[in-house]
Amino acid sequence: MAGILEFAPAIVLLPFLSFLIALGAGRYMPKGGALAGIGATAGSFLLAVATFVAVSGGQTYNQTIYTWAEGLDAVDLTFGLLIDPLSAMMLVIVTLIAFLVHVFSLGYMNDDGQTGLPRYYAGLGLFTASMLGFVVADNLLMAFMFFELVGLCSYLLIGFWFRQDGPPSAAKKAFLVTRFGDYFFLIGVVAVFATFGSAAFAGPDAFPVLAEEALAGEHSVNTFLGMGEQAWFTVVGLLVLGGVVGKSAQFPLHTWLPDAMEGPTPVSALIHAATMVAAGVYLVARMYGFYALTPTTLAIIALIGGFTALFAATMGVVKKEIKQVLAYSTISQYGYMMLGLGAGGYVAATFHLMTHAFFKALLFLGAGSVIIAMHHNENMWDMGGLKEKMPVTYYAFLSGSLALAGIVPFAGFWSKDEVLYETLIHGLGGSPILLAAYAMGLLAVFFTGFYTFRMVFLTFHGEPRSETARNPHGVRWNVKAPLAVLGVLAATAGLVNMVPVEKLFGIKGIDFLHQFLDGSFDSLNAHHYAELIPYSSGYIGGEAGTVAIGAAVSLGLALAGAGLAYVLYNVPEPVEHTEKLGSIKTVLYNNYYQDEYQVWIATGVVQPISRVLDKFDQGVVDGVVNGVSSVSLFLGSRMRRIQSGVVSNYAALLTLGLTALLLGLGLIGGWFA
Amino acid sequence: MIIEALIAVTFLAALVTFVLPDRIAGKAAFALSLVPVLGSLVMWQQYDASGNALLGGNIAFETDVVWLQLGQYDLHWMVGVDGISLPLVVLTTILTTLAILSSWTPISERESQFYGLMLLMEANLLGVFTALDFFVWFVFWEAVLVPMYFLIGVWGGPRRKYAAIKFFVYTNIASLVMFIGFISLVFGLGDSISSLRLPEIAQALQAGQLSGFAGLSASALASVAFIAMFLGFAVKVPVVPFHTWLPDAHVEAPTPASVMLAGVLLKMGTYALLRFNFTMLPETARSFALPIALIAVASVIYGALLALAQQDLKRIVAYSSVSSMGYVILGLIAYTTYGVGGATFQMVAHGLISGLMFMAVGVIYNTTHTRMVTDMSGMADKMPVTAGIFVAGAFGYMGLPLMAGFAAEFFIFKGSFESTVMAAMPLFTGAAMFGIVIVAGYLLFAMQRTLFGPFEFDGDYEITEAPFHDVAPLAVLLLLTIVLGVQPDIFFTMIQEAVNPILELGGAF
Amino acid sequence: MVPAQYYLILSAAVFCIGLFGLLTRRNALLFLMSVELMLNAANINLVAFSYYWGNVTGQTFGLFTMALAAAEVAVGIGIILVLYRNFDDVDVTKATTMRW
Repeated sequence: MAGILEFAPAIVLLPFLSFLIALGAGRYMPKGGALAGIGATAGSFLLAVATFVAVSGGQTYNQTIYTWAEGLDAVDLTFGLLIDPLSAMMLVIVTLIAFLVHVFSLGYMNDDGQTGLPRYYAGLGLFTASMLGFVVADNLLMAFMFFELVGLCSYLLIGFWFRQDGPPSAAKKAFLVTRFGDYFFLIGVVAVFATFGSAAFAGPDAFPVLAEEALAGEHSVNTFLGMGEQAWFTVVGLLVLGGVVGKSAQFPLHTWLPDAMEGPTPVSALIHAATMVAAGVYLVARMYGFYALTPTTLAIIALIGGFTALFAATMGVVKKEIKQVLAYSTISQYGYMMLGLGAGGYVAATFHLMTHAFFKALLFLGAGSVIIAMHHNENMWDMGGLKEKMPVTYYAFLSGSLALAGIVPFAGFWSKDEVLYETLIHGLGGSPILLAAYAMGLLAVFFTGFYTFRMVFLTFHGEPRSETARNPHGVRWNVKAPLAVLGVLAATAGLVNMVPVEKLFGIKGIDFLHQFLDGSFDSLNAHHYAELIPYSSGYIGGEAGTVAIGAAVSLGLALAGAGLAYVLYNVPEPVEHTEKLGSIKTVLYNNYYQDEYQVWIATGVVQPISRVLDKFDQGVVDGVVNGVSSVSLFLGSRMRRIQSGVVSNYAALLTLGLTALLLGLGLIGGWFA
Repeated sequence: MIIEALIAVTFLAALVTFVLPDRIAGKAAFALSLVPVLGSLVMWQQYDASGNALLGGNIAFETDVVWLQLGQYDLHWMVGVDGISLPLVVLTTILTTLAILSSWTPISERESQFYGLMLLMEANLLGVFTALDFFVWFVFWEAVLVPMYFLIGVWGGPRRKYAAIKFFVYTNIASLVMFIGFISLVFGLGDSISSLRLPEIAQALQAGQLSGFAGLSASALASVAFIAMFLGFAVKVPVVPFHTWLPDAHVEAPTPASVMLAGVLLKMGTYALLRFNFTMLPETARSFALPIALIAVASVIYGALLALAQQDLKRIVAYSSVSSMGYVILGLIAYTTYGVGGATFQMVAHGLISGLMFMAVGVIYNTTHTRMVTDMSGMADKMPVTAGIFVAGAFGYMGLPLMAGFAAEFFIFKGSFESTVMAAMPLFTGAAMFGIVIVAGYLLFAMQRTLFGPFEFDGDYEITEAPFHDVAPLAVLLLLTIVLGVQPDIFFTMIQEAVNPILELGGAF
Repeated sequence: MVPAQYYLILSAAVFCIGLFGLLTRRNALLFLMSVELMLNAANINLVAFSYYWGNVTGQTFGLFTMALAAAEVAVGIGIILVLYRNFDDVDVTKATTMRW
């Protein structure tokens, strides 16, 4: 396997190549360029797997491959590749999901007779390439650049159906809201350069390492605005976090994500499972060595995560459209990852990132399959009874739902449980903030179980509630195959890291992910992070006891939520029980009026200000300019009266002038003294 | 001699075009303008200078001959380029050619005069960017105004006379103020200089030869001269609050003139600021860091907010130019490699991208005969290629990575954040950076309303895809933007070589 | 020898007479004559100072001035003729059409 990592750039370049092919020649190709994309992502996936195997064998790779801007007497800005367990794992996830999404698109887009397919596949290719570039980035600047490209691609793909009103608006919102977060991120990037003179994630001048040494007093770094090192690092961490909150759709910048459902469903799967939204959390994990140094930042991450997990889950409870439910579940699940990272559970959060990628891609593709069957009607109240009509979709979707709800032994259970467990022990170790975040996360488990199975029952169980649900459109292999693959993964992916089993029964060595993530560079491995985090652990009834209690409570809550959904909705003719919530339902259905206030800020505050400024500019600033010209024109029109045309007057003026001159010179010359 | 040849060929091309019949003037002007493009590319390829032309660095393609005598001063014909001016020379030639190509559709009367004036302007612009003697430079500097005045005043929109006179008078008065400032420096230098060559003046100032003049001490004279020159150039850039001529000029000007105005003429202001204010009087500039940074931030934010309020696509791009030029000022005052270098890079990047945007708006205008956002929607349905390039250009304007705008803005932000001219620079940088959010706001809003949604158009014109010669210059500009964004070192290395000596300048008094 | 002051007084008197005529008359011919007077006042000064300093340059200038005056009269009378042809009068205050 020697040297396989040398081919890592190809993982990024292959999808980029498919972008170029689809853009340039897609219209002349069968399937509108899909085959190029499928081939490229398949190639990338194989390479990524090879990379993964090599990394498992202990290899790592950290090379600068391109100098973007060479600084004379200043820092070089470079691109490079950093392949370590974290990025290798992510590469596999992204390429796999991208490949499956490409295949699924054959069914969703091509079989549906959509137009503009070259544009679609070009967008997918660029999206995948951007995300892969982000994943392998070896420094913060490169990460930012690909982060932004990911944003561009989401704009292009969410707005794919640009001839309608909704998608362009949603695309604009997605880009603008994430841009707002990226604004802070960009300041953060600049600040990291200014502080450390380097933005590398790994290597001798890695900025997390420099920060660690600076805090240990080994050498000094530049800080700004008169702040101490700890305070300044916190500021920088929070600035970068702005981009994370925007892209990973955390409160309060989550509002773009539900709107982004306007895009084609395979794109939603890609955005939510593996690319854009994952990018935020991945970034925190990537520079975890830096975040672990600043307790304030960690606490804020944990709080944002816990709150978002609960907040989004409650909104998911009342939605009518299947994709809307999934959208809020995405926000909620990324909240868990943030919670895990903030609570010091680096491995747990990474684990959840992985399992979530599988089951969320599965759920979105499953929803896509349902939407094909329903002739693009997404309203769950028009569905029902699809179980018999589309068994493959049903069982795959069920597997994903069990994983999402966190039912043992599906993937989501293991990762979510580990996130909550890490939060619990570190909270018990003396951090009330983490305990509060834990409580929120725990409560969200119940809601997750409820809305997930409400969705399952409404869609697949009971009697069909519309004509299309009685005669659904069939789906072909290109839809079923990706579902089957992901269905298996959603059921089994959690088994790679059965920490509770290990702790409870003392079976050593089944926490494969822990071991894998430890095999990184010294400054980037999980073991190092565990030493850095500013938390201590506390237990109820010993380690095993805490594990058992935590797992039991979260599993219980998930089952309770699912059970409630079973009681309420697994009936032939379900009704909208959420009506009973009254005004609470209205608030939830309107997303706590989060959109309203953000739209209000844009149209009710910024736009009036800009109009007033425009008036000011036209009236006052330009008024002064025009005023100066008017005054000189007016003075001219008066002054020219002197020019009477009568020669005698000119002569008189001349004489007067001469006299005045003589008198003046005389006065100065002292003639009259 | 290549610079003289370049300018002379362009002048000749202008003369030839003036007398050609209208029928072939456009094609002939395009063909003739390819010669200076080739010339400038040869210059870029053979460029071998290093250092700053004003501070004793190697000057490429230098000519220096005594031309006239004026009192104690020799007037030299001195031209040459360094890493700051060469990128702008290349920008000028390329942009002129593309602007001429983009005029084929919209310009249909007095064509030979139009193309002649475009080439005449190019010649003068080349003179501005290559002249190293104040007298020569000033002649070219003023001469640029004349063709632009006629381009706006003859081929412009309904209020063209107002706009043309406003443009001419405003910038001309500004030149006067600048002239006073510069000449007071010359007098303050007294006998220590024997010519008006810019390198000689800059080096004399560095050597501390400035003495008091007209009752002012040397440092007070430097401050007065700095302020006068800054005001003069600020109008040209333009920065808030001297920007109001720009939207009027842009709205009334025909598309190719807008392209030249935004793409190159505005850069004259920032180029001169860098050459005169920030190179000759670095200490004074540093002492004025706070007001200059304030002006920069105000330009960025205020310009962007104004763009948000506009309904006319061209006004949007015009105000956004004010915003973008604010970044340049911020970079200049930073006095770091990335700051000043990024500002210079932004001159080129913004030249390409604003040219692209104005051309794209022009292509849409050619078909729809309206530029109002409210008059159209869903244009992407009928003009997919144009719309695609428009979207790409707009993202370039928003600072999408791997396009030239991002490189320039990132360099500037990085440079100004770590600047040492004052402690609060990170705050100013952060404030100015908010411009990247507002720019995304107004461009995305404008695109959503005009390009996307169901196709609607209130007008009698049939909307079809633009002809090839309209789209080709857009594609070329987009390509150049991406190339510069992926490999900024094409220009950035030579820019840094020229910029770094400026940063090393210490206080002279 | 007559002191220089006397010449200067004479010259000033002639100049003032000319000036007075210029300011009070409206007839173009009288205008011309007044101007001639003022010119000759200057001439007297030139010659007087030349005599005073014993330097002939002043007298040379006097000769030049006379030649100039002759030329001026030729042009002046031409203008007056045009004036008369256009306005049927030689009143200089009538010809105000070229203002503004």
